[in-house]
This record gives sequence, structure tokens and C-alpha cells, in this order.
Amino acid sequence: MRTFLLKRLPSALLVLLLASFAVFLILRLIPGDPATSLAGPDASPETVAAIRSQLGLDQPLFSQYAGWLGRLLSGDIGPSYAIGGQVADLIGDGLGATTQLTLGALLLVVLIALPLAVVGATTRSRPVAAVVQAVTTGVLAVPPFVTGVLLVLVFAVSLGLLPAGGHESLLREPDLAVQYLAMPAVCLALPSAAVLARYLKDGIERALAEDYVRTATALGVSRRRIVWRHALPNALPSAITVLGLQVGQLIAGAVLVERIFAWPGLGQLIEQGVIRRDYPVVQDLLLLVVAVYVTVQLLTDLAYTWLDPRIRWE
Amino acid sequence: MTTATLTLKSPRVRGRHLSGLLTWRGLTGLALVGAVALAGLLAPLLTDTDPNAQGPLALAGPSADHPFGTDDLGRDLYSRVLHGIGTDLTLILTAVPIGALLGCSAALLAATSRWADLAVQRAFDLLLAFPGLILGLAVTAVLGPGRWPVVIVIALAEIPGFGRQLRAGILVQREREYALAARVGGSSPARVLLRHVLPNAVDPLVVQTAVALSLGVFIEGAMSFLGLGVRPPEPTLGSILSQSVAYLTTDPAFAAAPLAATTALVLGFTLIAEALNRGIRR
Amino acid sequence: MTTVLHVTDLTVDFGSATAVDGVGFELAAGDTLGIVGESGSGKSTTALALLRMLPPGGRISAGSVRLAGQDLATLPEEALRALRGRRIAMVFQDPMSSLNPVLTIGRQLDEALRAHGTGLRKAQRHARAAELLDLVGIPDAAGRLRDHPHQFSGGQRQRIMIALALAHDAEVLVADEPTTALDPTVQQQILRLLTRINRETGTALVVISHDLGVITQTCRRLLVMRDGRVVERGATAEVLSNPQHPYTRELLAAVPRLDEPSRAAANSTPGEQPLLTVRGLGKTYGTRRRSVTALHGVDLDLHPGETLGLVGESGSGKSTLARALVGAHAPSAGSIRFRGQELGRRPRREVQLVFQDPYSSLNPRMTAGQIIAEPLIAHGLGDRERRAARVAELLGQVGLDPATAGRHPRAFSGGQRQRLGIARALAPEPSVLICDEPVSALDVSVQAQVIDLLARLQRELGLAILFIAHDLAVVRQVSHRIAVMHGGRIVETGPADRVVTAPEHPYTAELLAAVPRLEPALAGPADSARATALASNRSTA
Repeated sequence: MRTFLLKRLPSALLVLLLASFAVFLILRLIPGDPATSLAGPDASPETVAAIRSQLGLDQPLFSQYAGWLGRLLSGDIGPSYAIGGQVADLIGDGLGATTQLTLGALLLVVLIALPLAVVGATTRSRPVAAVVQAVTTGVLAVPPFVTGVLLVLVFAVSLGLLPAGGHESLLREPDLAVQYLAMPAVCLALPSAAVLARYLKDGIERALAEDYVRTATALGVSRRRIVWRHALPNALPSAITVLGLQVGQLIAGAVLVERIFAWPGLGQLIEQGVIRRDYPVVQDLLLLVVAVYVTVQLLTDLAYTWLDPRIRWE
Repeated sequence: MTTATLTLKSPRVRGRHLSGLLTWRGLTGLALVGAVALAGLLAPLLTDTDPNAQGPLALAGPSADHPFGTDDLGRDLYSRVLHGIGTDLTLILTAVPIGALLGCSAALLAATSRWADLAVQRAFDLLLAFPGLILGLAVTAVLGPGRWPVVIVIALAEIPGFGRQLRAGILVQREREYALAARVGGSSPARVLLRHVLPNAVDPLVVQTAVALSLGVFIEGAMSFLGLGVRPPEPTLGSILSQSVAYLTTDPAFAAAPLAATTALVLGFTLIAEALNRGIRR
Repeated sequence: MTTVLHVTDLTVDFGSATAVDGVGFELAAGDTLGIVGESGSGKSTTALALLRMLPPGGRISAGSVRLAGQDLATLPEEALRALRGRRIAMVFQDPMSSLNPVLTIGRQLDEALRAHGTGLRKAQRHARAAELLDLVGIPDAAGRLRDHPHQFSGGQRQRIMIALALAHDAEVLVADEPTTALDPTVQQQILRLLTRINRETGTALVVISHDLGVITQTCRRLLVMRDGRVVERGATAEVLSNPQHPYTRELLAAVPRLDEPSRAAANSTPGEQPLLTVRGLGKTYGTRRRSVTALHGVDLDLHPGETLGLVGESGSGKSTLARALVGAHAPSAGSIRFRGQELGRRPRREVQLVFQDPYSSLNPRMTAGQIIAEPLIAHGLGDRERRAARVAELLGQVGLDPATAGRHPRAFSGGQRQRLGIARALAPEPSVLICDEPVSALDVSVQAQVIDLLARLQRELGLAILFIAHDLAVVRQVSHRIAVMHGGRIVETGPADRVVTAPEHPYTAELLAAVPRLEPALAGPADSARATALASNRSTA
């Protein structure tokens, strides 16, 4: 596994480096003078000059880039412009809520997808198979902004069971926090769960058609054991890869879901950053997303090698 | 016995796509997409109300004058939804082919040398590191909201999907013996790639196209929802839906038409993709 | 002897097609029965139907399979499961895909043991798993339980398959093409193992194979199947010496015999000057730290009008050699000269390749005509019209109707596809044809036709042929000379008849000894130590 990590780590770091450069360039690609557009139309020349020197816009491109990375690594992230306050504090405020939302959704993805896939792949009843098929196709087809609207309509407006939006700390009021979390997490999880369920179902179906399943059947192994102990372990590695990619979709989807449910997380922050042109906030958050994504990819690759002995031993 | 099964497994390729489409799944998908697309295309004929004209009746329910009711500014929702479909389809049908073309070109480039392959793979990784909406935020941060940012975001987001799919196909097909046979027969590397390997590797791309179209509707909707899409007052499905959210408690009917159109479009593309996929795998 | 398995009028349908049509036989305890037939004869379907494990779409529409007083054809699924692996077990063809790649061998044996709750505890099952592995001849059995299938060789994997099937001392063991994917020497070991198990445990054996030699080595009685029916049955020796049905006679005539002298000399006389001269050819794959050497200084001469047979087992380097000769990869050392001139990396019109697999070597998107014309276009030979004429001529030359040029490969049978492959190789008028296992994917009757075609082409065109195969009997029949390859080296070269009758290298002798003969010779000396070990296992388990 160490050799694998050694092989995989450089390319992950390369992607991270390239992405950081791309994120850095975003600020320089804005038409016109970034400092002026950052400061806003009413800013005094002194403010513009201060921003310019703070960003090091008078220095060569590469040293600007290095300076930005250096500040990030040393923890001195700097102030935001339009939103106000230190970027580090803003991120700190939203991080907990977003982590809660995405991890909750991730858990739901697995909890929804696994039984759906297993039932869908193994059932002999046509109606059950049709229902699983309809659920995975139907849910996959509905974007989170549609499910979000529908969920609010049903559970908040019609039934009044759950709050339409808002957030509560899991530590302070766990009961209430779960109520607030339920709809956003379900809304975020559903499309990814549908994708994962379809892949996993395909994987199990393919594994069940393999010769080794025929061997197990010929040995008199029960159907249940064949599914869980023989077919599923073969379907898991590629499902893990899909799950890794879906983490990216969860992070992206969080932006939308936080907006729908007024969830005070990083998604709201980055959206505000883009709309109010607060570039330092946008830049640092984009880099954070990319870093998380690259790390998750590395972890899924590791999980893959751990689950598939053929790669582990090579 | 192997002979018999192998012969059965390779029916005509074009026929496989077609036979996939001619199932209830494929036909339902085609019908859904067809109906919505037709409504969008024929919008100027189906209604002569200006989608952006504001009227005195705000948030009215369905009536003879306004089949879907009106929005918060008193605009006719029937006209807005029909024109919104038109805008959506124009954006997606511009962006997806561009993304497909770029992705496939990159995959072909990757097939030329090991270094090109490494470079292309890292480029795909880089694009994937900005998942969907995040890419949308990054691009809009530079360009501001508008039509072109939406097209660019959808195109960029489709590149790795098409590219990786084709690259994987080429890698598999290139190792097949018929490709070696072509090389031994004297065909140049370019001819082996374009004449022999490529036609055998494009099958999954047909499915990918249907998936990409539904992803396009997704991204457009999400960007409009966040106010990063096409500038108002021009209607898109996402922007109408986003407007309606504020009035869900009081006027749920507002959301009905854009919800239905978006769902029908995405569901239709998904069903088509699934039908094609089953056709190929059969 | 008591009958353990009684099959009557077994009929299997796939939709409206009948794959197995009224097959019946009896199997006594400890007996051995072979089922032989070509592709599509229904022999494998019969084997699967015995355990009612037909692929989707197939069903037993008539007849019965009686085992231990129960009819497997009609038994409920759960009762059937209780019999599978406990009273009737099966060994499948491909040991790579038939073992679960992500589970350890120990886990898979454990699964087999616990499938029929014999009340063994975990530690007991572990010990029994090690015993089973040891029984089938895996060295260091207990230590290897934690290994995964890919860490074993092909022959060892097949031994593990057999160990799985033996987990509950089944009365009947069905082996479907148990050695088809294996090299001759490994094949012989597996056949000996099956014979030993039959003799020592009294397990009745049903062996399904396309290879009459394999059946002859393992089975006292045999059935000959064709188009789903049994056309002939009887004691193996009897059927071989005195076949009754015309199809059996045909089949027997088509099987190449190792003791028949070469027919190459009667076909053509090789020229004096060598056409292709290979000296010190080496090929190393991989990185500098972890390199694999596939060829070690290979020397070879090929004369015009000559067929040089090249035999060797998988991994011996024969395919690597073939691909180096046609320029598919650059050798790491040595030279390849054609008429005394060094061949560079440019396409070699004079040296063409015929592939083993007639399915994967033809582009499914192209028509037969396009496939054959491809080398003509690549070498810039002729215009459109001349190429069309040449394609028609080539199709005629390999015995196909020129009118079939517009069809896709899938419209052709296996043998016809191999003819297409030969026509493609002949298109640029080469003087050397490299045939890499050209007949090993074909049925024996089709095999004979393709061999005749190659002989005729050599006679008419004066071709030099490098005929690569693992089947020594075929190679002797077609070759003037034979070269034997082992571990990337050519260990022996000589006139075909001499190499077969008086091998000089011990490896050649080993290869020859491994060829299954068509005379019933019931297995060689057995190791009786294992027999007693097994007997004690049976009493404890």
C-alpha cells in the first residue's frame, strides 16, 4: 500500500497545485483592474492602493502566487472585502454547518443506496424490481432544486412536520438540529444515492453473472451468502470510486441546498462571495473545495486497493 | 457452445441503439423530451404574449388568459415557461456538443503518446476537481452572470465525462487483436486509431450524450437558481423556479409548470440514456 | 455396483431451440464417463443440466436426473441446494474466472464447507481446508490458505477448484472441460489428479471435453454427442477401435495423431537459401528494476516453401517471437534478416501474421472485403478497382464465395473467419506467413480443413510458414522441421519426425509424454500415501 501511495501522491499534489494556480488566476482574469473592482465603485484612491499593495498586484505574477500560497499555509488568510471580517473567521463559522450537512448526506447516500441496490439486483419479483428501477431513475432525474422545492411543499407547507429552513447546532439542541438537518440532507443525498444505487446494482448484477458465482452455486452456498459474501465484495471497489466522485457532487450540491433551506454554511458564503465579488473569499473557498476533493479521491483510491487484493499485491 | 453465444452477442451495432430506443423506456423518454422540446420550439406560435411583459395581475392562478397563471410581476407564466424551455435548450444544445468535441479531441490526443496521455489525464482530473456548480461559481466569479458563462460551465463540465469515456474505450479497443492485425498489415498509427479503433470505441458516447444533456438541464437550473445564470428578465426554467420558491407557502401553483417541465426534460434524457445503455449491453 | 446417477431422456430448451435432446445414461458408484463433442453439441449444457444450473433462458423441458432417490430436474430450489456440492459437485473450465478474485482461498474453501452445515467449528473447518488443499497437491497447503487466486498458477487454480468440489466427498464429480485452458504438461497432472481421486475416494466422474484424448485418459465409458443428441455410446476402448456411427468415425479421422509421420515433405520441398534469418533475438519487458525477459537469444532459419513448427507452453515466448517477426514490437537485441537484409521498423509487406482467435482479430465494424483490402490500402497496392478484384481473388483462394465480401465478420462461422484472417494475411503477397496458434480455437473437423488450406496455399504460392502451436500432433503433421521453445529459448530444432520420435532435449520428451494418447491407458503410478490420508479424512469428516 505504501508503494501505491507513493505512486498516487505526486499526481494528487500536481492536481492540487494546478488547481491552486487556476484559482489564483481567476482573480487576475477579471477584466479591468482587480483592485478597483474589489474596492467597489465608491472607494477612495487610498483604499484601492491599499488593496493593490495588499494583494501584491504590483509584483510579478509568480511572486504574487507564491505569496498567496505562503499566506494560506501560514494561516494568515487576510480580510474579506465586501462581506466584512476575516476570511478565516467566515470560513470557520460556516465550516461546521456544511460539514454536518455533507457528512449527514453522505451517510444517507450509503444507507439509501445499499439496500436499494441489493434488493434491485437480487429480487425475483418483477413489481419489486420495477419499483427499485423507478425510484433510482425517478430520483436521479430530479435536480436537488426541484426536490428541495417539493420537500418544502410537502413537509413544511402542507404537513408542517419540519421547519422549512434554518439551522441549529448539533451539540446544543440535538433534537432540533436533526429536524433542521433532515430535509436538506435528504435533498442533497437523493441524486447521489440514486447514482450510487444504480452503479452498485449494476456491479452486483455483473458479479452475479460471473463464473465464480456459478462455482459457489454448484457448491450449494445459499443465495443470501452468495449475494452478501461473494458478489458484493466484488462490486464494492468500483462503487467506492463512484462514491468518491459523488462527494464532489455533494459539495457542489451543498451550495444549492444551503440556499434553499437557508443553511448558514460555506455554500452560502461562496455564493455571497461570487455575487458580491468578494474575491479573497471566493479564492480561498474554491481552493478549500479542491483540496477536499483531491483528498477524497486519494482516500477512495486507497480504499479501492484495500478492497481489491489484485491491486494490493502488485 | 462458445461459438453460439458469441455470435448471438454481436448483433448489428446501429440496430442495437435503435432496438434500445424502441422499448417502453426509450419511447417514454423520447416522448417526454419530444413534447417539452416541441413546446419550447413552437413557443412563438403557441403564445403571442410577451414573456417579459408585466401586467396588473400578480400571482394570479390559472385562468383562460393565463393558463399557468402569472408570476410575482404579473408576467404570463405560460409564455415564460415555453420561452424558458427554448432558452434552456438553446444553451444546452450549444454547450454539450462543444464539451463533447473538446473531450473527444483530448482523448484522441491522449492516444498519441504517453506524455500526452499523462497531460490529458491531469487536465481531466483538474476539471473534475471543480465539481459542477463549483465550476459554475468559479467561472461566474470571473465573467459575471450571463448566457455565455452558463454555456462555458456546461461545456467545461462535460469535457471529462466524454474524454474519459472515449479514452477508456480507446485503451480497451487498442489492445484488441484486430488493432494489432491492422498494424501488422501495414496501417499507420493514425489510420489504426481513426479507422479501426475509434469506430469501435464510440458506442458508449451515445449514452454519454443523453447523460450529458440531462446534466446540462441540471447545471443551467442550478446556476439560474443561484442567480448566476441568464440575466433577468429573460426566462429560463431555473430562474422561474427560483422565483417561485419565495411564494411556495402562499402560491404553490407558481412552481408547478417549471417543476413539471424541468422534471420531464431530465427524466426524458435519463430514460433515453438508460434505454440506449441497455440496447448496447444486450 | 449400485447406480448413483440415473439420467433419462434429458431435454433442455433455450426458447424454441433444443440444446439437449433426450440424453440418457447411468453412472455407477466409482464409475467414469466421458462426454465428447464439438461446439454446439450440447455437452456443456448437459453437464450444467445435471446440477440444474442452466444459464438464463434455458430450462429442462423433459426427462429426469435421479441422484440418491431424488429427481434433480424437479426438486425445489432449496432441496436442490442441499445436494449441490454435497452429493454432486462440479469443476468448471476456466479456473481463473471460476474462483472469486477478492476472497482468499481459505475463505472460499470455508464457504464450501459451511454451505452444508456439518457442525464443524471454525478451527476444524480451517484444518479441513488445509487437508483438502494438500490432497489436491498444493505445496505448503496450510500456509497458502490466506492467498488470493491470482497468486496461484493456472494449474494450481484448477487444483483448488477440484479441492472445492471435494469438500463434502460428493458421490458424483462433473468436470466440464477441466483442462482446456491449460498447457499439456499441466493438463496431464490435472487428469492424473482426477483419476487418482476417482480411484481413491470412489467418486464417480463425468468428464466433458472436446478432446478425445482427455476422455480416453480418464474415462472407461464415453458418449459421443452431436446437435444435442447422443450418437454413440460404449466402452472407451470399444468406441475408439470400432466406431459405429459415421460421425464418430469422422471425428476420429480428424483428430491428429502424434504417431503419424509428417505430411509436409509430400506437400512442398523447401528451398536452399534461408528466407528469414533470426540471430540472437532478445526481448525484455518492463522497467530496469523489474524486468521480464521473454526471449533469450533466439536463432531461427526459415526457408522458402518450408513449414517450421514452433511448439512450447504458455509463457515460453512463442507469441512474443511471432510479434517480433512481424514488427509489432522492437526486439531488445539481435537481428531479423529477410533475404539477407536487416528488417527495420517499417511495415513488413513480406512477412504477415495469422492470428489464433478468429473472433477478436477481425474488426467487427468492417466488412470482409474491407478487412482484406486494408493491407492493400496500407501498402498502397492498386486502385479501388484493382483492389476489389484482388479481394475477390483472395476470397476464392481461401475457399470462400467472393460474393460474401460485403458481409460483416459475425455472419461467418469460426472456420470461415479463420479463412478471412488467412486471406487478409495473403493480401499484400507475402512470402512468409507467421501463424500463431491458427487452429487451436477451432473444432477438430474445422481444424483439419484449415490445415489443408494452409498446405494448399504453400504448394501453390511457395510460402514459408512458421506454424506456432502447442499441439504436438498437429505440428508434426504439418511441419518439415520442429523447433521447441521453453523459457524464452529454443531448446531443440530438427526434422519433424525425428523430434517427435527421438527427442534430444529432456523438455521435448516431457512435452511428448504429456500428449494425451488415443489409447485407453488408465493412469500411471499413484502416490498411495495420500490415499491413506484421504481414507482417514473421510472417517473423521
